Amino acid sequence: MEEMPVRIEKSKIVSCFHCGEGCEDELLVRDEKNFCCTGCLTVYEVLNENNLCDYYDIEVTPGTNLKEQEIRDNRFDYLDDEDVINKLIDFRDEEQTHVTFTIPMIHCASCIWLLENLYKLDPGVTFSRVDFIKKKVQIKFSSKETSLKSIVKLLSRIGYEPRINLSDLGEERGLKSDKKLIYQLAVAGFCFGNMMFFSLPEYFSETELLGNGFNHLFNYLNILLALPVVFYSATDYFRSAWLAVRNRSVNMDVPIALGIISLFTYSLFEIFVTGQEGYLDTLGGLLFFLLVGKYYQQKTFDTLSFDRDYKAYFPIAITKMVKDREVVIPLTKLDVGDIVKVRNEELVPADSLLLDAKASIDYSFVTGEAIPVPVKKGELIYAGGRQKGGAIKLAVQKSPSQGYLTDLWNHDAFSKEEQKDSLASLANQISGKFTFTVLFIAFGALIYWGFSDVSIGVKAFTSVLIITCPCALAMSTPFTLGNVMRIFGKGGFYLKNTQVIEKLAGIDSLVFDKTGTLTAPSKAKVSYQGENLSEVSKRMIKALVNYSVHPLSNSINQWLGNIDPVLLHEVEEIPGKGLQAKYKSKTISLGSALFLGVGPTDNAGNMGNEVHLVIDGMYWGVFRIASSIREGIEKMVPDLANSYEVHLLSGDHNHEEQYLKKALGENVSMHFQQSPKSKLAHIRNMQEDRKRVLMVGDGLNDAGALKASEVGIAVTDNISHFSPASDGILDGGKLNHLPDYLDFAKTGRKIIKASFGLSFTYNAVGIFFAVQGLVSPVLCAILMPASSISVVLFTTIATNFQAYRKGLNDKEMILWK
Amino acid sequence: MSGTTLEKFSYDNKIVKFFGAATMIWGLAGMLIGLLAATQLFLPEANLGNPYTTFGRIRPLHTNAVIFAFVGNAIFAGVYYSMPRLLKAPMWNKTLSWIHFWGWQAIILSAVITLPLGLTSSKEYAELEWPIDIAIAVIWVAFGANMIGTLIKRREKHMYVAIWFYLASFVTVAVLHIFNSLALPVSFMKSYSAYAGVQDALVQWWYGHNAVAFFLTTPFLGLMYYYLPKAANRPVFSYKLSIVHFWSLIFLYIWAGPHHLLYTALPEWAQVLGVAFSIMLLAPSWGGMVNGLLTLRGAWDKVRVDPVLKFMVVAVTAYGMATFEGPLLSIKSVNAIAHYTDWIVAHVHIGGLGWNGFLTFSMLYWLWPRMWRTKLFSVKLANTHFWLGTLGILFYALPMYVAALTQSLMWKEFADTGRLAYPNFLETVIQIVPMYMLRAFGGLLYLAGAILMVYNLVKTAAAGSFLEEEEDEAPALAKHVEEKNEFWHRAWERKPVFFTILATVAILIGGIVEIIPTILVKSNVPTISSVQPYTPLELQGRDLYIANGCVGCHSQMIRPFRFETERYGEYSKAGEYVYDRPFLWGSKRTGPDLHRVGGKYPDSWHYHHMVDPRSMSPGSLMPPYPWMTTNIMDHSNIGAKIRTMQKLGVPYEEGYDERALEDLQSQAKKIAGNLKESGIEVLPDTEIVALISYLQRLGTDIKKGGSGNE
Amino acid sequence: MEVIFVLIGISLVMAGGFLWLFFKAMKGGQFDDQHTPAIRILFDQKTKSKANKKPPKKKK
Repeated sequence: MEEMPVRIEKSKIVSCFHCGEGCEDELLVRDEKNFCCTGCLTVYEVLNENNLCDYYDIEVTPGTNLKEQEIRDNRFDYLDDEDVINKLIDFRDEEQTHVTFTIPMIHCASCIWLLENLYKLDPGVTFSRVDFIKKKVQIKFSSKETSLKSIVKLLSRIGYEPRINLSDLGEERGLKSDKKLIYQLAVAGFCFGNMMFFSLPEYFSETELLGNGFNHLFNYLNILLALPVVFYSATDYFRSAWLAVRNRSVNMDVPIALGIISLFTYSLFEIFVTGQEGYLDTLGGLLFFLLVGKYYQQKTFDTLSFDRDYKAYFPIAITKMVKDREVVIPLTKLDVGDIVKVRNEELVPADSLLLDAKASIDYSFVTGEAIPVPVKKGELIYAGGRQKGGAIKLAVQKSPSQGYLTDLWNHDAFSKEEQKDSLASLANQISGKFTFTVLFIAFGALIYWGFSDVSIGVKAFTSVLIITCPCALAMSTPFTLGNVMRIFGKGGFYLKNTQVIEKLAGIDSLVFDKTGTLTAPSKAKVSYQGENLSEVSKRMIKALVNYSVHPLSNSINQWLGNIDPVLLHEVEEIPGKGLQAKYKSKTISLGSALFLGVGPTDNAGNMGNEVHLVIDGMYWGVFRIASSIREGIEKMVPDLANSYEVHLLSGDHNHEEQYLKKALGENVSMHFQQSPKSKLAHIRNMQEDRKRVLMVGDGLNDAGALKASEVGIAVTDNISHFSPASDGILDGGKLNHLPDYLDFAKTGRKIIKASFGLSFTYNAVGIFFAVQGLVSPVLCAILMPASSISVVLFTTIATNFQAYRKGLNDKEMILWK
Repeated sequence: MSGTTLEKFSYDNKIVKFFGAATMIWGLAGMLIGLLAATQLFLPEANLGNPYTTFGRIRPLHTNAVIFAFVGNAIFAGVYYSMPRLLKAPMWNKTLSWIHFWGWQAIILSAVITLPLGLTSSKEYAELEWPIDIAIAVIWVAFGANMIGTLIKRREKHMYVAIWFYLASFVTVAVLHIFNSLALPVSFMKSYSAYAGVQDALVQWWYGHNAVAFFLTTPFLGLMYYYLPKAANRPVFSYKLSIVHFWSLIFLYIWAGPHHLLYTALPEWAQVLGVAFSIMLLAPSWGGMVNGLLTLRGAWDKVRVDPVLKFMVVAVTAYGMATFEGPLLSIKSVNAIAHYTDWIVAHVHIGGLGWNGFLTFSMLYWLWPRMWRTKLFSVKLANTHFWLGTLGILFYALPMYVAALTQSLMWKEFADTGRLAYPNFLETVIQIVPMYMLRAFGGLLYLAGAILMVYNLVKTAAAGSFLEEEEDEAPALAKHVEEKNEFWHRAWERKPVFFTILATVAILIGGIVEIIPTILVKSNVPTISSVQPYTPLELQGRDLYIANGCVGCHSQMIRPFRFETERYGEYSKAGEYVYDRPFLWGSKRTGPDLHRVGGKYPDSWHYHHMVDPRSMSPGSLMPPYPWMTTNIMDHSNIGAKIRTMQKLGVPYEEGYDERALEDLQSQAKKIAGNLKESGIEVLPDTEIVALISYLQRLGTDIKKGGSGNE
Repeated sequence: MEVIFVLIGISLVMAGGFLWLFFKAMKGGQFDDQHTPAIRILFDQKTKSKANKKPPKKKK
């Protein structure tokens, strides 16, 4: 028995029992608990039947909101497909199948509890374990009683839909190499620890106190323990050094390998020939700290890997036409000859022939040209193009390759030319020369001391090799920029790569697009003035607007609600002007006043652009769409204006100019009725007088301008919909943080420069002492990794601290978690 | 394959109830004996005038009762409750659990009988004689087998960090106990240590420290990692930190033994090794404390109201304080002040009362209401116990710190004449008698708190109904192959770990049997020619010294400091102890050092001093031993003792064991004659004669220049 | 001081044993997930079976 959803007034919004969000638009009450949507309610019912209600008392409102959950139920059909299953599962035999799902929604103890009690919901499941940090759940189920698809369906029903990503099936197990490093680290640590014990007496007391047998015993034990360190833990360094030397280049590992070999051989010489104790404990310490440094570096790089795996953008499921019935299949399953239906804004998955009469394909992905290319029946459409307008049917000519589609974004057509004075290139040049100078100084020291005292010579030689550390130069730039990128990523601002940050730091003028960027399309207020519209005319407008992707047509589409469109033919969209189509005998056109030749109406005063409606030449009325500016913009733009030169380009008329002037302040130079071409031209001539331009647009109709400017940022509301020409994607809600991001990029540059200085002074001082043989190898074995770690720590802490001060990331830094 | 369906099983709470009850009973007994010992230290009459309750024998009884009975049973109760729940499988074998329970209680009972009778090996925290040592080894292996069996049958693949701590404790204590208890038995209740002198000291304290490490710390860290999150209902602060903390602690703890022997006759580099290690130990210990305390981040309001969490917070803080004090104490210059004083006693009791005691109390307060499915009888009573306990610890530790510093500085002080400011040792003792009284009061408070707890828990149990078997269900751990290429390895690995453990134990025992004798025989070449083995009568006197626990108050190790050589004489060399089996260096100077007492006082002084110590040195705290003048000592087994010593490598001449009895009787007649001259009638084969012969021999070999025992 | 051989011997054997245990645990996947076990111990099974729930009538 389920009560009817009851309308509630604004003041008394009660929070949903399942997901804790306010139940604004509907309130379902069940066992005197209230739910915000049917999604949450169904989850509660499922749990209630299987007495799993502890889920709600481990954490308060643990569920995730299920309002906009797609209700297309054939979404998971492709999971019945045999070799998709083989790709997804980890292991299978006749009884048992193991599968590991990534479920981003896992966020609290209740999620863990529920997912680990799956066997209560589906008896087929025998085992389920959650890894909280990786947000993965491993499920074992008996192949007879249940299937992969039913489990995925169950999971999505209780609000934990796994993110299935066919593209990362090929992802090789990164874990293996990580484990090998930990084994090497453990061996090095164990041997280093023990060697320290046996060398400890050397440090503290005169040797004769040791008594006869022990001296040699400890030396031989040290050698015994040094063997695994040199021949197991150090293999990676030897291999990479050998590779570098083989093709006659030099990398960071060459001096290290040289240092290890010299230390080992010299210690053997000292123990066996002269009977002293040698430097084996230094060798152990050196390798232990090197591997610790490497482990730390690897872990930070893992976390820095670009959060948004852009491979995920491409539509995974393609709707294939089987005898005009739509079937959803995975991209990889598509093969030559299939007939595919591609809807508006979806990508053409593979080179294919057009079956419909006409289509307009936007190749901005492939070539960067924003203007859609009209294609006639039977012509070839290339993979990566995007259909503009209604759904079209295609016959696949070439089997799709996921790889080709994935690296479109970093395609050189989009990448801007390498910035001359970018810090990354500077670091590469220096580190190349650095290693040569170090080798030169080391051999110089060896020869210099060779005459007077060989042992100091060897000591100086090894300590110079070990103490100098180019890694600070090589590591500080990627670490800082990587960290900055990670912080941006957390703040909803995804960048293509780290060079973009450096360019951001160099920006001096900003260009904003109005529609879709400064204004939020979803919150537009639409009003209609004129003859009232009959049912048929509404359906005609609906069909017409359905074809176009323009923000204004989107708003009207939303305003009309979901009435089913009528079939139109000869639909034509004139970019920047309007839409025209024929229905039975009548022609209907919708567009700007200029396009329809209608005189300016009396409402010049108030805000919003107008879309006029003319049917069969008869003027019906006008849609007035007042787009409201995103909140926080009124404050942001004036601040930016006094430190940057701010321009506003907008495609529609200037009737909103006074309003915008009032809202955005005086010194913003505004230009209206800008077609995509004129926007591009505007950017070009700004660049002529040596301005470094940052263009912020919605990426739909200003792709060209985004590509031309130094840095192009596309503002979108749902992240999955983006334009490749941009260098970064900024979440609509976060636009008001733009000033923080800009000067945070500047601080990033300053931090890198500081770390260069730090590392340079360290190396200079280090070499100064090492050459005189004053520094014992133990000390430099500790100093070298300490220096690289200190640089990395310095950069990370500095960036986090700056971010914290700017309020970009509020979570406090916990090193251990 | 049935292995993958859901299985129902149940956890046995009965064994936990029994171990918990044993913890409480032995806890009270141990603390009561502790209180008696504390009162005896400022009131000699409290020795009740009989050999069985004098301080010498009461102190080891207290240490064994509190460590092995109270803490031991607490660990077993905690493990038997938490391990099945962590591994989702009942303990491997119920009968083994009960063998373990009754066996352990029998061992404790045997200790309660043998220690007051003076049947002890005098090695601290390992005083029990060889048959009981064997029994301990057997029961301990039974406990380990039960744990490993559960491990094999577990249904939860991941072994929570607490399990690691339990396993590490089992493995290490097994090895330590076996090595330290190596002794050659003379008779059923008498044995001589396999090591001698300096080496015996090193092995003893390698064991001594690690008994503290792997019996009092690692299992309790395991309990903390289970019960603290459970009581606070919050996950541990950082699970990654607990893993790092475990491996570093395990690795470092083994090596920290020598810090008990700083400035003694141990070679200097070995001492330095101990110091270096103890200082490094601070990091993992504090890793554990931080992990524990930060788990309560955000739950501090619960701590204000829930006694279980209050006890745990003080327990973890006490652990932090004790493990900070440890490395501090092992710095040589600090150790020079603290060694042999009450500072060590304070350090031990902050760890014991604070960490072990309070964590056990919090565990019991948490367990009892759950097992009887009812509320705690009275939270107010638990809070009073908490405050009584905390005050008890403060009243115990603070006076001890004051006493230690006063006494140690008085020992060191030189008057401007260049002579000792307090030449008579007794002056330093009388100075700290009030502190001993305060300490006893602290002990009383702590005991009172414990009694309140027992009452509270008994009433709780009465109110609730005991849950014998707690139901649970979990899918079996899939037994089949994970990855194909690992098949042969996985098959080998699935063979129970049990056999591999047995194999390692076998290797260890094999190793001991061969290595030890060869090394030890070669090693006792006397480095100082004038040092000779003890005469038979002196050997009997030494055994009497051991039997009465004189090592509890008197040390036999003069450190190379001017204030000690000035007070006692030439500092002790390693060579002097080659025939000391077991070594009697001692760890606390309630009474003066005796290593150079030989020949310092006439026999008659010793006679009167033993009968009534206050007659010879007024105000002395030493208990009286009047029965020594009348008890006849049975010298019949002297032959067997000499033979055992010869087997252990002491160079008595061949066949000396037959003539040993006549030598003994002639030396006894000589001493009885001396006493007769100064008017004391005593039979030659009384205990006092043997004791006087031993005391007069102590430390004289160096001076005599080799004539030794004519 | 020859007992040092024995002590070093035992300690090396035990330390080696613990190293082997570490490797075995590493391979057995004990350290793959370093966060969830801490939360998992808090879910003590509130199974609804009768034996746990209502206490039997009071004995004696």
